[in-house]
Amino acid sequence: MILSSIVFLPLLFALIVAVWPKSNTIRHLALGLSVIEFLVSLVLLQRFNPSSAGLQMVEKFMWIERFGIQYFMGIDGISLWLVLLTTFLTPIIILASWTAITERVKGFHVALFILQTAMLGTFLAMDAIFFYVFWELSLVPMYFMVGIWGGARRLYATVKFFIYTMAGSVLMLVAIIYMMYLTQEATGHMSASLLDFYQLKIPFVGGTFFSLQTLLFFAFALAFSVKVPVFPLHTWLPDAHVEAPTPGSVILAGVMLKMGTYGFMRWVLPLFPEASEYWAWLFMLIGVVGIIYGALVAMVQPDVKKLVAYSSVSHMGYILLGLFAFNAYGMSGGLYQMLNHGISTGALFILIGMIYERTHSREIAKYGGLASVLPLFTIFFFIVTLSSIAVPLTNGFVGEFFILLGTYQAQPVFAYFAVTGVVLGAVYMLWMFKRVFFGEKGELVKDEHHPLHDLNAREIAVLVPMVIMVFWMGLFPNHFLNYSKASIDYLVNNRSNYNLTIVQPGDASTQQAQGGN
Amino acid sequence: MNTAIGLSDILLISPMIALFLASIIPITAKVLRGNREQHPVITLSQGLIGIVVAIGLLVVFGGAGKTAFNGGLIFDGVTQWMGVIALGAAGAAMIMMYENPSTTGKQFSELVFLALSSAIGMLILVSAVDLLMVFIGLELMSLALYLMIAMSHEEKLSKEAALKYFVLGSFASAVFLYGVAFIFGSTGGTNILGFMENAAELVQTSRLFLFGITFVILGFCFKVSIAPFHAWTPDVYQGAPTPHSAFMATAVKTVSFAAFLRVIATKSLTGSDHLFDILQWLAVITMIVGNTAAIIQNNFKRMIAYSSVAHSGYLLIGIITAGVSDNGAFGASGVIFYLLSYALMTLGAFAIASMLERSENHIVNIDDLAGFAKQRPMLALCLTVFLLSLAGIPPTLGFFGKFYLFNAAVGEGLLWLAVWGMVSSVIGVYYYLRPIVVMYMKEGNAEVAGHSLNATTVTAVVMALAIVAMGFVSGPIFAAVEKSLF
Repeated sequence: MILSSIVFLPLLFALIVAVWPKSNTIRHLALGLSVIEFLVSLVLLQRFNPSSAGLQMVEKFMWIERFGIQYFMGIDGISLWLVLLTTFLTPIIILASWTAITERVKGFHVALFILQTAMLGTFLAMDAIFFYVFWELSLVPMYFMVGIWGGARRLYATVKFFIYTMAGSVLMLVAIIYMMYLTQEATGHMSASLLDFYQLKIPFVGGTFFSLQTLLFFAFALAFSVKVPVFPLHTWLPDAHVEAPTPGSVILAGVMLKMGTYGFMRWVLPLFPEASEYWAWLFMLIGVVGIIYGALVAMVQPDVKKLVAYSSVSHMGYILLGLFAFNAYGMSGGLYQMLNHGISTGALFILIGMIYERTHSREIAKYGGLASVLPLFTIFFFIVTLSSIAVPLTNGFVGEFFILLGTYQAQPVFAYFAVTGVVLGAVYMLWMFKRVFFGEKGELVKDEHHPLHDLNAREIAVLVPMVIMVFWMGLFPNHFLNYSKASIDYLVNNRSNYNLTIVQPGDASTQQAQGGN
Repeated sequence: MNTAIGLSDILLISPMIALFLASIIPITAKVLRGNREQHPVITLSQGLIGIVVAIGLLVVFGGAGKTAFNGGLIFDGVTQWMGVIALGAAGAAMIMMYENPSTTGKQFSELVFLALSSAIGMLILVSAVDLLMVFIGLELMSLALYLMIAMSHEEKLSKEAALKYFVLGSFASAVFLYGVAFIFGSTGGTNILGFMENAAELVQTSRLFLFGITFVILGFCFKVSIAPFHAWTPDVYQGAPTPHSAFMATAVKTVSFAAFLRVIATKSLTGSDHLFDILQWLAVITMIVGNTAAIIQNNFKRMIAYSSVAHSGYLLIGIITAGVSDNGAFGASGVIFYLLSYALMTLGAFAIASMLERSENHIVNIDDLAGFAKQRPMLALCLTVFLLSLAGIPPTLGFFGKFYLFNAAVGEGLLWLAVWGMVSSVIGVYYYLRPIVVMYMKEGNAEVAGHSLNATTVTAVVMALAIVAMGFVSGPIFAAVEKSLF
């Protein structure tokens, strides 16, 4: 029952918060509950068997029998870290929103917990419809989060976010229904189980758009591409980020975007192996375009939050590139980069939120010389910046290095272009850093009526875990990669006949054989 | 021809008898009291008791394809489900009538009488398998409605709505009857089961029959507001008192679709490819028209009216699916399940609109909802559930309604209709989100009329809970619907 507990505990917490009578202790309550959730999720690490590529801790029973839809959850090396990332970030988000969210505090935490359930469910659901329910459910609390607690243009941003992502995923629903009928043809009974979908042999014809596998591939890929978001479909992201309150941005960048890349790994690549191989060039191309485009646009942003938002477009391009390289380096780099991006971009948004609370401005031009006023803040910002531009010894380096290695193995040309993104990333981040922290003191920093205070204890408590993760993941990547190695290797080597098996608890001796081959 | 009427016939129509008895109690009481209105609560409870008894009788005595009155009426799964949905909706609408400012007047007894009479027509409509019976049901239901809309309301808009509905409704009835005449002329009978047996062949061989069936279908298209025959819908829904709009949008639509389903889908009509091609295009047009027109509405009721046009489009996909399939039960149960969810969420949305009407002539615009979430968080949450469900966001009932409907369409090879349905439901999301945006994210002081709206509040809350809860057990419900159709 561990997976169900992890997914649905936050929903219970949402209820508790909703009926909690004392409004002045809601933050403490929510923080405590989210820490409990994180501790519960740590049990996963202890129970997880890293040597197996199969699905572990599976829970399933029939939900809608008529269509073979199951309540079906399982975890493997791909979803493990994403689940932990989600539970790790939530307490940090609550702590970071301590003074940023002052209105409708109760509603905010209720939305946050519902969102957490939706995201965890998305990562753990192994039944297509079950997955889709969580996938769509996640839109609703996020919609409220941006729409109620967001900035001036929040209504535009939140509706755009909702419509874009919903429009992206409806075709996926049709594709899921279609595949349910395919399983009925193949096995005689309808099923929406992912494991049954993996068994399907969907006809593929190269060279045309109109073969079944290609069509289904694009129906899924579109949904995930909007969420990632890949280059031409990304325009909702900067809007949503800029208007979202700090915690909303952290969740969006930290976890929700990963739902898209996770979707590629879990669904698209193994379900449509030929089509994804055939169209890999397209996705690598838009990955590379995203990297360079995102970096170039980030460079000219006057708004520091928008800059980080566009840098997300660039970073997510790397992940796409890594996944479609189809080798162990690319894939594990992609997965690692998902976590890195969650940590470092999340931390960046938190830092920006902290300075915004002090100055109510995010304009780079109005800062300058912050370093002399806020030394502690500067140190944290610097570390996170280094992580974001992938300096060795930080987490970002490991991810990008693996991705570039994998891409070079698969398609050297794309690797050449992607490397320019590394340089551009350093340019826009360091340039921004220079303009904000050094040089002439800007008008906000000089403002004598509002002297700036350096970080307080709460804010340090928010940032320290993030910085620890930056170095931990940068120095000891194997602590993390070991858990996902078996799953990634299996995905890389058996993509065309991917066959996830369910690992029964207790049969440690057979797990390797079951999952590995 | 055996014309004897036995006990079983009486038992089968006992729900209608119960409704009839319940309907005459309030006006009789009023007459006996010297034309003084009894307390509205008493009137309302008499009406509700009638409905509950009728539902009970329908469930107990109906079912399993029993026929009554020489095969004129049939009591099968469709009758039971659709009848229960329609009666439930009628009951909920009556609760709204009890508290809405435009209907709480001196004539509440008459109103209940008319609503129950209309409900009798509905029961006839859902059980009729003879086209003339269908016509009788249709007219009984509509005549009461024409009066209801015009009655107990001072406003010009409602008179206009009543007139519009009357003229167009009569026109639709005439078209329908015209079609029935053609069918009678070509087959020598009007029993649906009789002529549908070889309908697939008839539509190809007999032009007369094809004309007939087309006109019958057109008649239904008017009633269920399929574009381009939908033009009356927004005007009438807007002009009528809100509870009556709720009544029309849910109960009337449910039973009209039931009759539509029976004509088209009882036996496969697969011979008539052209007919189904046209219906598919009508479904597509309806979804486009309903969804795009709803976007630009500022009046809340008008927006829901256009959205109900769009929902007719989705439902038509189900009707087509049931019609082209040799085993129509899957498509038909999709339609029934969809109507179940549609009735709950539309009634709920109208219930909230009804509460926002502070006076008889009050027009509820979407902008009026500003600040609603702060004033009445519970009701705002309910409205959010209704709107998200109408938009088809999981895990609400509305999502599963769409899922089952489109699932059936994909299963019958109507993939493009399913795709189109999905795409147009995204357009729908846009306007369903607007009231939510206004409620939660705009400052204002939305007010709920008075303090005496307890019954309507309870109704809305119960419906919101049902929409969420039934989403989780939609599987067994759907299975039960499908099982009852065999």
